[in-house]
Amino acid sequence: MKHITSLFFVIFAAYMFSAGDGAPCGDYGECDTFEPDLWNNESLQKGFSTYINYCYGCHSLKYSRWNRIATDLDIPEDLMFKYLIFDSEVKSGDLMTGSMIKFNAEQWFGVAPPDLTLVTRAHSPEWVYTYLRTFYEDGSKQYGVNNLVYPGAAMPNVLLSLQGQQILGCKDMLTYASNGGVKRDETGNNITEERCGYLLSLNNGQLSTEEFDQLIYDLTNFLTYVGEPAKRVRERMGWYVIFFFIIFTALAHLLYREYQKDYH
Amino acid sequence: MEQNPDKTRRKVLISMTASVGAVGAAFAVTPFIASWNPSAKAKAMGAPVKVDISRIEVGQIIQVAWRKQPVFVVRHSKNALESLGKIENKLADPNSVSIEEPYRDLHPTRSKSNEYSVLAGVCTHLGCAPKYHPEVEPKPWDATWLGGFFCPCHGSMFDIVGRVFKGVPAPTNLKVPPHNFQGNTLTIGEDKT
Amino acid sequence: MDTIYKWFNERLPISNTFERHLSKHPVPKKVNFWYLFGALASVVLIVQILSGIWLMFGYENSEEGAFASVEYIMRDIDYGWLIRYMHTTGASMFFAVVYLHMFRGLLYGSYKKPRELVWIFGMSIYLIMMAEGFLGYVLPYGQMSYWGAQVIISLFGAIPYIGESLEIWIRGDYYISGSTISRFFALHVVALPLMLIALVFMHLVALHEVGAGNPEGIDIEKHLDDDGIPLDSVPFFPYKVLNALVGIGVFGTVFAIFMFFFPEGGGYFIEAPNFEEANPLSTPEHIAPVWYYSPYYSMLRAVPDKLGGFVVMAAAVAILFVVPWLDRSKVNSIRYKGIWSKIAILLFAVSFITLGYLGTVPVTEIRTLMSIICTVIYFSFFLLMPIYTSFEKTSVPPERL
Repeated sequence: MKHITSLFFVIFAAYMFSAGDGAPCGDYGECDTFEPDLWNNESLQKGFSTYINYCYGCHSLKYSRWNRIATDLDIPEDLMFKYLIFDSEVKSGDLMTGSMIKFNAEQWFGVAPPDLTLVTRAHSPEWVYTYLRTFYEDGSKQYGVNNLVYPGAAMPNVLLSLQGQQILGCKDMLTYASNGGVKRDETGNNITEERCGYLLSLNNGQLSTEEFDQLIYDLTNFLTYVGEPAKRVRERMGWYVIFFFIIFTALAHLLYREYQKDYH
Repeated sequence: MEQNPDKTRRKVLISMTASVGAVGAAFAVTPFIASWNPSAKAKAMGAPVKVDISRIEVGQIIQVAWRKQPVFVVRHSKNALESLGKIENKLADPNSVSIEEPYRDLHPTRSKSNEYSVLAGVCTHLGCAPKYHPEVEPKPWDATWLGGFFCPCHGSMFDIVGRVFKGVPAPTNLKVPPHNFQGNTLTIGEDKT
Repeated sequence: MDTIYKWFNERLPISNTFERHLSKHPVPKKVNFWYLFGALASVVLIVQILSGIWLMFGYENSEEGAFASVEYIMRDIDYGWLIRYMHTTGASMFFAVVYLHMFRGLLYGSYKKPRELVWIFGMSIYLIMMAEGFLGYVLPYGQMSYWGAQVIISLFGAIPYIGESLEIWIRGDYYISGSTISRFFALHVVALPLMLIALVFMHLVALHEVGAGNPEGIDIEKHLDDDGIPLDSVPFFPYKVLNALVGIGVFGTVFAIFMFFFPEGGGYFIEAPNFEEANPLSTPEHIAPVWYYSPYYSMLRAVPDKLGGFVVMAAAVAILFVVPWLDRSKVNSIRYKGIWSKIAILLFAVSFITLGYLGTVPVTEIRTLMSIICTVIYFSFFLLMPIYTSFEKTSVPPERL
């Protein structure tokens, strides 16, 4: 019986944690790794500022309130009003409903730009981080760019001037034998093969690749925060709750053992 | 104690488990209680409101909604303010000693201005909105009426700066909400400018 | 105090009920951890009712407001996120605990005479829970709410002749709209919970009438002391209660780990597309039910026929109700049953979990084949039960616990 029980749990655990299918980042394949740092207020503030300056014009954050972000990210409200809120009608407790009228947006883009409050939850932070860095030149598209993660995205690359242009190109790649080793020719040189569909940077942006990646990191970090502002408190609180239950279980167990003496 | 150490151990364990459990229960209850507090939305709705007071004529009242509650802004004449002392023998608490008065001894208007009164339009009896009757003339409820507020629900009376009369159901003076004046702009709900 | 107590006691069966069902209620003295899940299920039920009531304070049951109101709860209400995650995690925990509770029943023959009614009430609870979980998942009106509901309601369309009009009648509209949300809301928060509580009550009353089982599958009433109390029993209070407290402690830890660190349960508790508001014009790329329905969903997909799939799925649940009459074994517990029963229950568990896994991933040819095999094993476990339980050689359980 013991065996059945343990087998049951092993199989259960194996299934629960086995990976899903399909490439999560579209034509790009696996997403780039992204580790959010939700207590890094400096990063979050930079991300917030990038969002307001480059994204908020089209994409609202309609479930979030200005003053919640100010409080959580430690931004003095008067500074927020001075540098980040461009609409004089806005009050600090208002929802961030965006500055674009939906009607105009649909005329310009064919679809209304989606609200991005929950984008990191509906996809994943990794997805957003990768998506924002995989635009490439594609003359066949309305805005001259296409995206590897989300092909056909009806959106201009607003960060083009910072990142510089990227094109889809081909690279010489190592080839591998079926045993996993690198294939070589008779003279011992590696056999390479030209593979296509890779992003190549033209390096004509205002920022270096590292600087740009950092900018997108901060932006994605902010979007991860705004997707679930309670997350950072939640995880902190979780440790206390678990600690409580462990103490409680230990005491209850001792008490149970004590009472078991009555009939053992 | 000696003859039965088991009992002691049980008692200690029971009291420890119970107190840990009680602490846990207290913490578990907290979010359920706290979630009944005004939400961020309610707080945003209850944010301070700004009013242009330049268009209020002397002796007139305007009603402003703050937190969905009426707030009265009254512009008094010099005369009316000077005669405030005459009515004091009718009042239960002319100096507002029994309530928390935010701007005590600043002006006879009880507000931050020497001309305007700012009063929460909520009767301190059971929450009706009192009516403003500025006329100095005999009224059905008071033959020697010198102007003030009369509550239609239960007949409580207040003078023109919201101080309650003796012998009426309302226990205390009308409250003065936090406010500040900047030129012609009155902000209700915020102390600081 | 005493007089007040006496006054009430003469008019209400307080001390009687208390003694009979709590303080003196005899329970088998030796049981294992499998016997804790019933108590844990009642704990989760209370958690669900409380957190559910608190969610209602912020939730708005309309097409325009539902999705935003959930985010309102998550952001604007103090600790709203905690209460919501308690409810969403609680739903999964409820099913986890109930599945283990049911499997315990299958392992140790808890459904056997005289506990058939206990089992049937239990199965009814499970059925209501499935409906409750489905309705609850629709309420946030995210993409998965919408398309999940679309799929489930379309199942009713499989019923010949009346199917299509039945779909419209269930929705109260031509698509899953505010009318659907309103009625699902009322059912989720009032009608089904009332039925659930009533059934739980009946489940417990019936259980206390016949007494709890034990892993040896023997009848402890055979050996009584002078007062007529089973020798192998202990009073419910404090012994069983303390045992349950330990269980609650461990369970609370697991619950907290999920609730505070993995509230989406890796996409198995709250699916990612449900963070997007319902859009009747665009289906998410991959629709999968939450994990606790996925075994049945696999069965549905395994059958290449709309009505057939629906029938198989319904039968898979229905067949659980008649288990007490399918098991012909002389013994209750798997410990003393023959090798065939042991193999059968192992295969059953493996196939059920495999079906569960397959229901959460996109279909491929090989997976469909696996689903078919597992579905056959699932049904064989039950349908062949009268045969293998009556022919196999069983061993003799001990007389005493």
